[in-house]
Amino acid sequence: MSRRGAWVAAIALVAGCNDRPPEVVKPGAPTALVPSHGAVLEDTTPKQDVRLLPAEAYVRSYLQLFGGLAPVDVQARARGADGAQLFDTWDDYLSALGFPDYRNDLPRGTQTNAIMVATFERLGVALCDRALEHDWKAKPAPPVKERVIFAFDEPAAPASAAAFAARFDVLHKTFLGYPAELAPPDRVKNFFELYQGIAKRHAAPGVRSRFTADESGWAAVCYGLVRHPEFQFY
Amino acid sequence: MDDRQPRRTFLKVLSGAAVVAASPLRALSAMAAAAVPSDGEFFVFIHAAGGWDVTLWADPRNEKKGLVTPASTDNTDTAQVRRWQDAPLDGATRTFQPLRPARGNQVFGPGIGDLLDVADRITVVNGLSMNTVSHPDGTAFSATGRHLVGGRVPASSIDTMVANEFGREQTFPAVSVQYPSSFVGDDLDRRCVPLVVGNIGTISRTLARSSLYDSEDDREAVTALLSKEAKSLAARSEYPDVMQGMALQYDALRRMLGSKLQEVFSAEGLKKAHPEFKYAARFHGASCVNAAFALEAMKRNVVRCVSFACGGFDTHANNYRFQAQTQQEMFDMIAVLLRGLDETPHPTRAAAKLSEHTHILVVSDFCRTPQVNIGGGRDHYPNNSALVISPRFRGGLTFGKSDPEQLLPLKAKRFTDGERAIAPPDLLATFLAAFGVNARKYMRDGEPVPELLKS
Repeated sequence: MSRRGAWVAAIALVAGCNDRPPEVVKPGAPTALVPSHGAVLEDTTPKQDVRLLPAEAYVRSYLQLFGGLAPVDVQARARGADGAQLFDTWDDYLSALGFPDYRNDLPRGTQTNAIMVATFERLGVALCDRALEHDWKAKPAPPVKERVIFAFDEPAAPASAAAFAARFDVLHKTFLGYPAELAPPDRVKNFFELYQGIAKRHAAPGVRSRFTADESGWAAVCYGLVRHPEFQFY
Repeated sequence: MDDRQPRRTFLKVLSGAAVVAASPLRALSAMAAAAVPSDGEFFVFIHAAGGWDVTLWADPRNEKKGLVTPASTDNTDTAQVRRWQDAPLDGATRTFQPLRPARGNQVFGPGIGDLLDVADRITVVNGLSMNTVSHPDGTAFSATGRHLVGGRVPASSIDTMVANEFGREQTFPAVSVQYPSSFVGDDLDRRCVPLVVGNIGTISRTLARSSLYDSEDDREAVTALLSKEAKSLAARSEYPDVMQGMALQYDALRRMLGSKLQEVFSAEGLKKAHPEFKYAARFHGASCVNAAFALEAMKRNVVRCVSFACGGFDTHANNYRFQAQTQQEMFDMIAVLLRGLDETPHPTRAAAKLSEHTHILVVSDFCRTPQVNIGGGRDHYPNNSALVISPRFRGGLTFGKSDPEQLLPLKAKRFTDGERAIAPPDLLATFLAAFGVNARKYMRDGEPVPELLKS
């Protein structure tokens, strides 16, 4: 093909394109008529079971809650100097609490077991009993804002359901981080029954304790919450 | 009707049967079906932490051959090793005389200590193929039959498996003192999570309670409430397993505290109750408390499985001089435990001795190199041996072997996947099969070795 022929063909091709009629887009159906696919909700259900907090996290929580002391000071406070044998040393419980043991290449505990649960009890009882001594039995008693755990006035014994609920809510927020009214419905009632039962038992003649009946009830509520499964899991 | 159909069906059945016949599952289920009832059995698992030198006990070497430099008066403190009898090696350097029990095919080195006296009850597995020289990996492989996966233990350890089968109702299903216990799997009972403690004294201290402030009844009421709370949370949960497990563990705590065993299980209480153990021993005095605990807890029928570690075997340097003594002390302790089991009646079976229903498995991370390094010690080596003392295993037997010049595992038998050396999964599968447990319930690998079991 000659050069002229090529030019003619190219011009014809361009002209042919330009001659194409404008594309007409017909309007579609109004969007209101397009069938809806429905609302897609976000699935927020948990995809796995709750897990045990690392030992460092919950022991740090203990330290923070019970006065923000160093571990050795908490140990000293829990042991006390009164021969009560409420606690021993942290070293005695490290493996039982789930800490890893790098001396023996043993990994951290990631599941609770009955000995760990027993250790939570041993530790929780010691911390709560000492906290109650500090908050309510010290002479003179510290002002409410300086109290470690029991940051409310001791109600007239025995506490009524309403007086208990208000104070229990303080403890519930302290240990479990949310108001008691958001907990499963029977929780306040169950803990009130626990408080009443223990206070009644300690009020009986012949029961010896360093706490009054009412104080015993509140101490039990405290270590019920610090040992609560919601405290150890996330 | 197609007249070839019966032939096709026959071929299908035949090929299916061939697949099943070739599967280790067949062997497992057949052995499981043939097993005898296993309630009332007790288990002790011991981990020789650090990697033991098998040439001093299970796989003795007393001549220079290939890579092997045997233990000798040059590298071993022989004065305290009772079973060491000099044999010529090289000029003034002496090595040891191998020990051959009167019966069986076994040969031991001097580290075996007093266990030599009960050699007819011992089953030794040599040439265990470890495929690792890493402590954490070898430890996990020995206890679970699986290598680590990204640093994690991917399977349950043998004590968890056994506790899950036979220990759910015991006060202490599995007590683990520095043993590489692991609890992995969705279908396990959470009561059987091994009770991991740093030392036995922790159990006593953990269960001790002061009565100056609150009473046993108070604590019991709180625990009962928490059990109820855990059940309530489980009922409201999409995934209730953990909370249900907590409820079971609260109940187990109530049983433990109700058993009044705090004093019995204190270190001092155990030493008093079992003075026969050598608590002042140089290397394993502390382990003797664990052995005493095992004996006392089994006698009282409150435990199903006790597992603990004996350390001191990682002798890379001049501390290799004490490897034989370290072994001797551990095996002496096991011999004392065995005598104690012989003298103790079974808690639930009339006229039976505890030793007739107690099963002991001793393993290590791996073994040590056949050659001595420039520091005078031995390093890590991917071979191993294991020891079983069980009425269900054939006593007086050594199974498996290693290379005479390199101490590497040799083929032990024809498994369903071919001829190969025995490995920890096979040993663990055999241990489970001895009690009628299908190992596939817990283990990915491993094939029972019927040769190890009494028929």
